[in-house]
This record gives sequence, structure tokens and C-alpha cells, in this order.
Amino acid sequence: MLLHNLRIAWKSMQRNRTLSFLIVLGIALGIALSTTFAAARHAFARNPLPSKTKVLRYVRLDSWDPQKAYPGDGANTVPTQVTYRDMTEIMKSKIPARQTGTFKTMLYVFPDPKVSRPFKETIRVSHADFFPMFAAPFRYGAAWDARADASGEPVAVISKEMNEKLFGGADSVGKTVRLEDRDFRVVGVLDDWTPSLKIYDLTQNRGVGAPENIFISFAWFRPMNLRTFGNSDGWGPSPAQRGIEGVMVSEQTWIQMWVELADADAVAAYRSFLDAYALEQRRHGRFLRPLNNRVSSIPELMDDFRVVPREANTLLVVSLLFLAICSLNLVGLLLGKFLARAPEVGVRRALGASRLDIFVQHIIECEVIGIVGGLLGLALSAAGIAFLNAVMKTQGGRPGFFQLDAPMVGLSVLLALAAGFVAGAYPAWRTCQLPPALHLKVS
Amino acid sequence: MEFGPILRAMTRSKVRYGLIVLEIALTLAVVTNCVSLIRDAQKELGRESGFDDANILTVRSQPFDPAFQEKGYLANSVRRDLDVLGRLPGVKAVSNTRFLPWQGGGSSTETRPAGSKGPWLRNQIYNADEGTFAALGSPVVEGRGFTRAEVESEDARLATLSATARARGEDGTPKDKITQDVVISRAFARLAFGEGSPLGKRLEDSDGDQYQVVGVIDRFYNPYGWPIHEYALFYPSSSASYAGGSAYLVRTEAGALGGVRAAAEKALLDANGGRNVRVRTLLEIKDGFQATQKLVLGVLTGVIVLLLFVTSLGIIGLTSFSVAERTRQIGTRRALGAQRGDILRYFLLENWIVTSLGLSLGVFLAVALNAALVNQVRAHRMDGSYLAGGVLLLWAAGLLATWFPALKGAGVAPAIATRNV
Repeated sequence: MLLHNLRIAWKSMQRNRTLSFLIVLGIALGIALSTTFAAARHAFARNPLPSKTKVLRYVRLDSWDPQKAYPGDGANTVPTQVTYRDMTEIMKSKIPARQTGTFKTMLYVFPDPKVSRPFKETIRVSHADFFPMFAAPFRYGAAWDARADASGEPVAVISKEMNEKLFGGADSVGKTVRLEDRDFRVVGVLDDWTPSLKIYDLTQNRGVGAPENIFISFAWFRPMNLRTFGNSDGWGPSPAQRGIEGVMVSEQTWIQMWVELADADAVAAYRSFLDAYALEQRRHGRFLRPLNNRVSSIPELMDDFRVVPREANTLLVVSLLFLAICSLNLVGLLLGKFLARAPEVGVRRALGASRLDIFVQHIIECEVIGIVGGLLGLALSAAGIAFLNAVMKTQGGRPGFFQLDAPMVGLSVLLALAAGFVAGAYPAWRTCQLPPALHLKVS
Repeated sequence: MEFGPILRAMTRSKVRYGLIVLEIALTLAVVTNCVSLIRDAQKELGRESGFDDANILTVRSQPFDPAFQEKGYLANSVRRDLDVLGRLPGVKAVSNTRFLPWQGGGSSTETRPAGSKGPWLRNQIYNADEGTFAALGSPVVEGRGFTRAEVESEDARLATLSATARARGEDGTPKDKITQDVVISRAFARLAFGEGSPLGKRLEDSDGDQYQVVGVIDRFYNPYGWPIHEYALFYPSSSASYAGGSAYLVRTEAGALGGVRAAAEKALLDANGGRNVRVRTLLEIKDGFQATQKLVLGVLTGVIVLLLFVTSLGIIGLTSFSVAERTRQIGTRRALGAQRGDILRYFLLENWIVTSLGLSLGVFLAVALNAALVNQVRAHRMDGSYLAGGVLLLWAAGLLATWFPALKGAGVAPAIATRNV
């Protein structure tokens, strides 16, 4: 019976090819546009590290100028990063299971002259806990350990790409990579690591972009005079000390601070610890604003940093409205098409077809239109996604950032089926209400 | 006119006409709001920097040879680079500055008129040498720019300052305050000092250091993370370090950009190979900066075209159906003496009524959607003229879409009335 209905639907679509094509095209455009922009928005909005959502927390301390709001939206805005001295102090807490401060810098890499000219590379500086905290996968070796942080061993973790570039992809653990005037021993080589967002650092470009290719310990901040190449906001008189000593005591905020807290109790305990720390600092004349420290989960953080660009929301709303208009359009066209078929329906009714039969037959026809339109739409949105990725690439973003992944394909199919049903239900219902006798008389 | 009969005919298929009314209403709402978003973005994208964007190259030199760590070596290298770049054929002006326009960021600080207890004003802050304003193509229009001697003496002074810790007073700020000559943008001068000449006036920062205005550049726009795109302050100094490298602005004669670009990297590497050099045109940087917004504009424009297409399709469908349904009636009317023009007019009028109903509902929807967008994405309030334009456009699209099916209706022969369909 279903097969028979499908055949009728197919024949009906072929009867007026131009009209059918236009109907299908209309729905395909609606699906294509909404799928593309749902996928674009989804690329920003999806949680890049769901396995760690329960435990990872981003720490912000309100160390800002009591006289003036932190540049941003409201008076309650907290600095997006922490100062060096605050990081050092709060890392003495034993509450977090793991913790790391992190920032990015830029250093010259001096490869074997046979391999390439020296080149400048973005380097991420962090503590040892960084790798397990962000579930970085290792191909060879492992992360450095806390001892290396404490003793300042010259050790480095490099990405798969960097390993490819410097060592031809071989297991390079134990080999050295020269950064500026120092040799760092490779202790670990990462495997492919492509979280949808660089969640550990949302302070620039919304975290869009590939993870850095070289990681070294925070212990090298001072000996190598590392300075941040990310955002740095500060206030107050410039410190009496010059250079790095000044940075260490200034009110410059430039470090992203992460902790891993086992459960809700640990989160609560850590919050009280931070508040106590801030109150203690207040006795020394710092932290003069009302207590406003943050211990944010990944979703909260993505919200605060507005990871989803406003444009993505606008385009999604517009594309959904577009789909709604396409569906409305389809209702009108189908109504016309079906009612024009009244005599045929009359004959079928007179020959014993029930109303339900007629309804089902027409709904199936609508769903066929919806599915064909949906498939065409999916193909179009794959092209749209490819285009967005090409634009993203020229912007220096991560290749393949936008994806037509399973949830998005599912969404697209659902939208197509829904559009087919929404558009078809009323015309099909009207058709099955036609009295059998009326049209028999005329013909 | 046949208003009565048309309306009565329409009430007999309320849903069918209702649908198209709703579709037209939604189309008007979406199209006008898209146009409004597009116009807003275009206004932002079209803002002129005040610089000679089309004829400027940015050159970055990033040393890796440790010899550059020695201050004198680095300074000599910067002098030689400026010399090498300046001698390339077609080059008008060169400058060593940290300010590279259209990068979407840079350095900023807070200042306020000296002695005022008013709010701190955030402004961009950059170094300039004797060639910077010529290289930008934004000449100093009031007061003076900087001289070579001044840049050098300031370099020396800044070096001394950063070598020694400054003695602090009670309030934690340095005891001895510095006064620095600066050039500021016209917009910043207005913000800080109001109308009238700012020459000789002073700004101060939170250290109590002062900035004396010696010159003003007229137009300045550089996109920035904060809304301080027009507020800039330049102080004399060269800008280069081992870690940060050195950057140059090169302004060429019209038409010479490509040649200079091709020659610059090689010339600099020939002068000193212990570094990497990257040359880009300012327009590339600007295009890269604006790419996302331009993409959004393209998409929105596409949506408008597609919407008009889909809605026209709906109208064509509706009218075709109307015509098919009434073939016998049309035949009868024709047999009773109606002219083709009468039939055509009937359908055009019918459509005009439908469109107008849709448009009047659409005006409300458009305003509501705009209010939502203003709230959600901080769009601007829509200009009323877009609504008027949208109404005219959809009227025209409606009539055009009705025209062909209606012509078909008008073509129905009177004899059809006598036939059984």
C-alpha cells in the first residue's frame, strides 16, 4: 500500500514537472539555508569538552579598579583573566584536584638548518596539569609532571603537526627543539587534537583556531622573560619595577586560570576560599570592589565570553523565517494542486476509498516532496558549509570548523519531514473532505 | 470596479487567500529587516579610515639572529630598513611605527585633560616617527608633526626611563612626572577639550604623566575592540625590539604598489638575512578584517532575492489556480461580452487586494521583528523608508507575478462556456 502511494505521489509530481520542481526547490532552499546556519551556530555553541563539563572550572577574580568598571558591558563585569600574583597565591590551595594557569606567547623555533629556516611560533605556556585537564591525547610520550614545573626542567610537548615538521613524524621523545637560545627536550607528542573550540583560551577570536603547536612549562616565564601575546588589561599606576618584575607585581590581568573540582562541595569550598583570599587581599588595599569572583563551568564561560557571534543568531533567525515562508508557500501551492484533483478523488471515494486512505495518500505525497526537497537542501547546505569553511580558512581559523555532523543532518531531515507535514496536512485534510458525489455529476 | 464580487469570491476560499496574505506579510517583515541590517553594516564597512588605504603596504621584520638583541644593532637595522624601503622606486613615504591600521586592535590607555577630575577617556596610543603621518596619508593639519631629532632624543629618554626604576611618592605614582609631546586625532581633541584649538593643552594619565598636544591629524578611524575607533594619541619614538620585531608602513605612488610589494621582501633580506620578512597590502588586511561582515551581507542579500522569488512563486501558483478553477466562469463572462482587459483587470485587482492585505499586516510584523532584533542582536531601529520601499517592491512583484497567469486567464475563449470541462 505504501509502495502504491509512493508511486501515485511520484506520478503526481511528474504530471506538472515545472510546478513540482519549483515546489521542491522552494522547500530545498528553506532547508538548505536553515541547516547551514543552524550548523554554523552549532559550530560555535557546542560544548567542545563534554566529558569535563562537570569538573572543569574557569577562575576569575575581581581585582579591578574600584573607581571604574572593567571595560565591557556592565558594572559587574569581572576581568577576563587573572594577574600573576593572584595566580601564584590561589594555586597554593589544595582544594582543586588539578589546576593550571596558562597563556600564549611567541618564540623563535630554530630547527635543524636542513629542515627549515628559523620561524616564529605561538607557544602555550602552562602547568603540568593542563594536559589531563583538557584531555589532550598523546601519540608518543606524555605530559611533563609537577616536578618539572617545580624544578624548571627544559621540557616541551609538541603537536603532531610540529612533530611532522621538525622530525618527519617519527617518535621524537627525547629529542630537542630549540626555542630562542635554549634546548627543550620533547617529552610528549600530541595526537590529532581538534576540539571545536580552544576552550582553554576564549579571550581571543572566541577560541576559534587550532591549539598551539608547542607547549612549555610556566616555570620558564621568568627565566625566559616570556610575555603574553594574548590580551592583557590592567589599571593603576605602573609598577616601580621594570620589565618582568613589574609584570609580576602589577595589576595586569593576562593569565587564564583553570581548576578541576571533583564535585559540588569542592566548588563551594573553592568559592569560599577565593572570597576569603579576596577579603584578605582587601586588608592590603587590593580587591576594593564588592566580592565578585567567578568559578565558571564551560557552558557558563561560553555564555560570558559570547562565543556564539551575534551574526550567527541573526542569520539563524532569518533562515528559520525563510523556511517558514517557504512552507507557507508550499501550503498554498499544494492546496491548489490537490483541489484541482477533486474529480479524481471523487472517483476514488465513490469506488470505496475511505477518507483516511485519501488523507494518507496525500500526506505521503507531501512527505515525498519534503524528503526530495530535504535531500536537495542537504546537498546545498553541504556546499554552504564548504563555502563558510573556505571563508574561515582565509580568516586564519581552524580548517573544518563548520561541520554538517550527525545532529545537523538529523535536524535537516526532521525539518524536511516537518515542513512536508506542516505544509501538507491542511491541503490533504481539505481534499479528503471533498464529497464523493459532487464531481462525479459533472464528469 | 469589481471590489464587491472579488471580495465575495475571496471569502469563499479564506484559507487559500489567508495563506498568501500571511506569506506576503512575513516576506515584507523579513525583507525590510534584512535591508535594514545590510544598510547598517554597509555604513560601518564604508567608514573611511582617513588613510591612503589603497597605496599602503605594511612590512613586518621579525629577527632571529641574536645580533638583533643588541640595541644599537637593532636601531641601525631599522634605520637601514627605512633607507632601503625609501629608495625603492615609487615609494612616497616610509615609517617605523607599531601602528598598523585595520588590524582590529593595538595599544590603548586612559587619559583625561590635565587637572580635570573628570572621567578617564580610553584612547589608542601608538608611537610615530618623522614619517608616520606622511606614510598614513593623514597629514598633520594643525600644529606640527615630529622630527628625526625629536624621535631620537625621545628614544634615548625612554631607554633611560626603562633602565631605572622611578622613585615613588606617597600615592604610589612616580615622583617626577614626565611631559611628553603628542599628536592626537581631531575626534579625540573634541572629546577631551571640546571645540577650539587643542594645541598646547595637556592630557594626563594615572601615573600623573602629562601629554602636551603639539599637533592634530584630521581624520582617523581604526577598528578596535572597544568603541574608541576614532580616538588616537601618537608620541615620538621608534618602535623595534628583538621579541616584537619591527614594523613599517610604506606609502607608494598610485600604481606602484605591486612593484614595491614584489621588491620589498628581497631588498630587506638582502640588507640583513637574519630575520623573516612579511609584506602585505593594507587592503588585504582591511579585506580580511571585514570578510565576516561582508559574508553576512552577501547572505542577507541572497535571502532577500530568494524570498522575493519564493513569494512570487506563491503568487503565481495562487493565480494559476484561480484561473484554472474559474475557466468556465471566465468563458461565460467573455461570452456575455467581457473584454480580455476586463478579465486581466479582475485578476490583477484580486491580487492587488491580497497583496495589500498582506502588506498591511506585514508592516506590523516588520516593526515587531525589528524590535526583537534590536533587543536580541543590538541592531539599529529600522528606517521607515525601508518599509515604504518594501511595500512598493512587493506591490510590483505581486503585479508582475500575477501578470502571466492572468494573461492566460484572459486568453480563455468565450466558447469554453458552452463546453463541459
